[in-house]
Amino acid sequence: MMSESKNESQLLLFILAALMVPLGLAFGGGGHATDWSFIIIAAPLVAFPLILIAGQVWNGHPLWKNTLKEGGIPALMTMTITLGVGLWVIVDYIGGTAHFESLTVNHILSWISFDVMAHTANGWIIVPMGFTDITFGIWVDQTTLMLLFVATFLTFLICWFAIGYMTTDEINENRNHRFFAEYLLFTAGMFGMVLADNFLWLFIFWEIMGLCSYLLIGFYYWKPSAASAAKKAFMTTRVGDVFLMVGLLILYRIYGSLNFAVVFDDPSTGLNGAVVDAGLLGWALVMLFIGAVGKSAQFPLHVWLPDAMEGPTPVSALIHAATMVNAGLYLVARMVPFVDVANGGVHGLEDIGLLVAWVGGITAFMAAGIAFVQNDIKKVLAYSTMSQLAYIFTGLGAALWFLNHDGDSMHTAGIIVLGASLFHLFNHAMAKGMLFMASGSVIHEMHHAHHHIHHHDENHTDISEIPEALVSLVKHLRSEGLTIRQFFESLDLDSSRTLTISELQEGLVSASIVDESTDIEALVSAMDRNGDGEIDPSELDRYMMDFLIGGKIESHGGNDDFDPQDMRNMGGLAAHLPVTSTAMMLGSMSIIGIPLIGGFWSKEGIVGHTWEAFLHGEPLMFGPALLVLLTAGMTGFYMSRMWFMTFAGAPKSEVVDHVHESTPWIKTPLVTLSLVTAFTGLILTMFGTVKFLGGKYDHLSFHHGGVFEEFVYALKHAFLPEDPNLMAVGYATILLSFIVGPWFAMRIHGGSLKEGSSAIPLVGWLVKLSSRPSKLDVSAMAESSLAKALEERLYIDYFYEELIRRTVIPFSALSACFDRKVIDGIVKLIEKGSQVSSQRIRLLTTGSARDYILYAAVGALSIVFLLMGVSS
Amino acid sequence: MIDPGYISALSAILFFIGLAGAFTRKHAIIVLMCIEIMLNAVNLNFVAVAMQTGDPEGWVFTSIAIAIAASEVAVGLAIFLSLYSTRETINLDEVDLLKH
Repeated sequence: MMSESKNESQLLLFILAALMVPLGLAFGGGGHATDWSFIIIAAPLVAFPLILIAGQVWNGHPLWKNTLKEGGIPALMTMTITLGVGLWVIVDYIGGTAHFESLTVNHILSWISFDVMAHTANGWIIVPMGFTDITFGIWVDQTTLMLLFVATFLTFLICWFAIGYMTTDEINENRNHRFFAEYLLFTAGMFGMVLADNFLWLFIFWEIMGLCSYLLIGFYYWKPSAASAAKKAFMTTRVGDVFLMVGLLILYRIYGSLNFAVVFDDPSTGLNGAVVDAGLLGWALVMLFIGAVGKSAQFPLHVWLPDAMEGPTPVSALIHAATMVNAGLYLVARMVPFVDVANGGVHGLEDIGLLVAWVGGITAFMAAGIAFVQNDIKKVLAYSTMSQLAYIFTGLGAALWFLNHDGDSMHTAGIIVLGASLFHLFNHAMAKGMLFMASGSVIHEMHHAHHHIHHHDENHTDISEIPEALVSLVKHLRSEGLTIRQFFESLDLDSSRTLTISELQEGLVSASIVDESTDIEALVSAMDRNGDGEIDPSELDRYMMDFLIGGKIESHGGNDDFDPQDMRNMGGLAAHLPVTSTAMMLGSMSIIGIPLIGGFWSKEGIVGHTWEAFLHGEPLMFGPALLVLLTAGMTGFYMSRMWFMTFAGAPKSEVVDHVHESTPWIKTPLVTLSLVTAFTGLILTMFGTVKFLGGKYDHLSFHHGGVFEEFVYALKHAFLPEDPNLMAVGYATILLSFIVGPWFAMRIHGGSLKEGSSAIPLVGWLVKLSSRPSKLDVSAMAESSLAKALEERLYIDYFYEELIRRTVIPFSALSACFDRKVIDGIVKLIEKGSQVSSQRIRLLTTGSARDYILYAAVGALSIVFLLMGVSS
Repeated sequence: MIDPGYISALSAILFFIGLAGAFTRKHAIIVLMCIEIMLNAVNLNFVAVAMQTGDPEGWVFTSIAIAIAASEVAVGLAIFLSLYSTRETINLDEVDLLKH
């Protein structure tokens, strides 16, 4: 712990104060979790504008900046409250102490209606719009519970991490309140989506999350790459959302309501007791699934997720790994009652399960393949996220398929694979949230070490890289009080709206910014973007912006060609980052599915049951089953590759030697999640979580006696299942993911640390192990066209771009033309006509008094004659 | 007594003489005189009708109109004076600041 951490630790008092709120409610206030569960959504929703406004008002104020961490502390307090209330709801539900019947459907905002007022002869009346029972309520079941825990727990930890990550970087200075406010709005959306008791509110919160994802990916909006990544994410998910909305409308047509309580009560009976048509319901579910595909970044709407890594790392950890991308999975898990034929579901919907499983299988395989060749540490994790989410989709697909068949064994299998999928969601969210935070720690420290070496005693604006002329130009503008545009106009002697070289030189010399001998042509060619040899105002603006704002940002890694995210600059970091490397090792193990750790317990269930569905006589399940099995091995390779490239071997750049871990804000969440990742998989398995999540048990508890018996049972279940086919699949998965994948990764990227440096024993053994196998040279393979295609993301992005260029762009060009020619044309015609006619009429005012007398006389006479004509 | 019709006819002739003068002449004072002729043509008409109907309102009206016309002439002449002092002309064709 460093010296500053003493002051920092006092800030924990704020967190303790916030913790009093849920504790007070739970133990002091009386009442049940039911009554207070709305706080989970309301607290961030209230805190979000407060932080935004306070951040604007007290921007840069020392109290706001140092004590409140520019909104970080209030945000963390809010997260503490939501975590507390969330845990209370979970404990109440599992313990069955609260009346969770009313918790299940608890209409809090029942007065909200979508009816409209209309004015009639009898005064104002309310006209019902048909959506008669769209109210807001809280719905809690096993699926909700899992996501609620994941969301509240991870938003809390990642908020903690974000305080360390965001507030120590000068780029974010005085902008962090925007980050924390948007972060809170996002969490409100996530909690709302998880707790909402009908599909409409689910959709509304879903869209709030989409908005926040857009805002946070574009947090560094002045970087063109971040701006376009934000746009890409927003537009791509929007494609899915359109389908989702159509699906909801079909559901409303079938059931006459979107409330879970109404819809799930008897899914086979529609509005007014009509029998639900499987075909129509199937279409609704397919539409919902397409929405889920967009949100969870599955093929073919996956293109936005890797680009979304442009956002700050805490955002990647929270939104694009741990919570928002799970929204799609949550929606698919919500489809279960529709197909669960043992509990009143509709027959004949097996194809939905197959579709989900196929999309999952293809995405898992494809993303794992692309992750093989990525060198950006966050991109590897992004593709890994995509691949693991696809696992869960495959599992959910298998669950939907099983549950749509009659028979006890089918039903049991369906329930178990559903539970395993939701459990994998939990394991993946924990591991991936931690992996992203660990990668953030690596990036953060690499970046700081790089600065430490290269910019020892400069301030960070890097004035040395800005031409001297520009610096004095800025000083000149400031002292004269001119804007860039005014300065431009003062230079533009012939008012041609462009500056020639001579005009620029003359102006700059006369303002004594440069002297006559300066070579002005180099400056002009740097400014001249369109290459016409002249400077127009927008070019000057752009040039100034690039230097004044961009110049500062570029020093984040772009200016001097150092990329702190590139794994080719790392290597040997295990010696310098003990906590991070341990966390990353455990996270990778959980994702790979190393036996006994985290994701192993759930991944086995998914792979095994997908095979079981195939063996139960569904030949079409063979594809997803094979793909997820192969992907298990590929996961082993790419996760190990990432770890070895980052932490093992000799350092690949001098920066590595200066890296060290600093702020406790970053370390604490990593340690917490390391423990969670390492142990909760086993512990929760022993408590029968899989069956609980699938809906088979009502409570979490031991079912085979004490801890030891339960442990033995869990082991036996995982390693010695009764079905020989399952056993074969299980061992094949273990072989591929545990042995084959890491083995190849070691041979290619492993190696011992540099002479003289050592790692802590927790990770040291792995580094030593990795140096044992003989080296494998894959440079030839890296040159192959397949590697090239993988590096280019299988050209899918290019295909979409080409498609858009061929269809959307011509269409928008056409409509722009229509707008310009027809709509604007009419307006301009009217304007032009009135101008011309007014010019004509103006000619009558000759200025001669005698003409005016003539007009007056003619006018008076014509009035007289008119009157005479009327009266006669 | 003269037939009021003749007086009205004379008034109409006077009015059109004044109107024609106001249209055609360039000199501001002559135009002013022409306007006075038109005004007095109207006054004459008033008197003629009052004489025919025996209603004194016409007489009263005419005397008020004459008084106001006198002050109007004073104002007009003052305008011409200041016009001359600024533009050195009272030719109405050259005074066209209100053009277009």
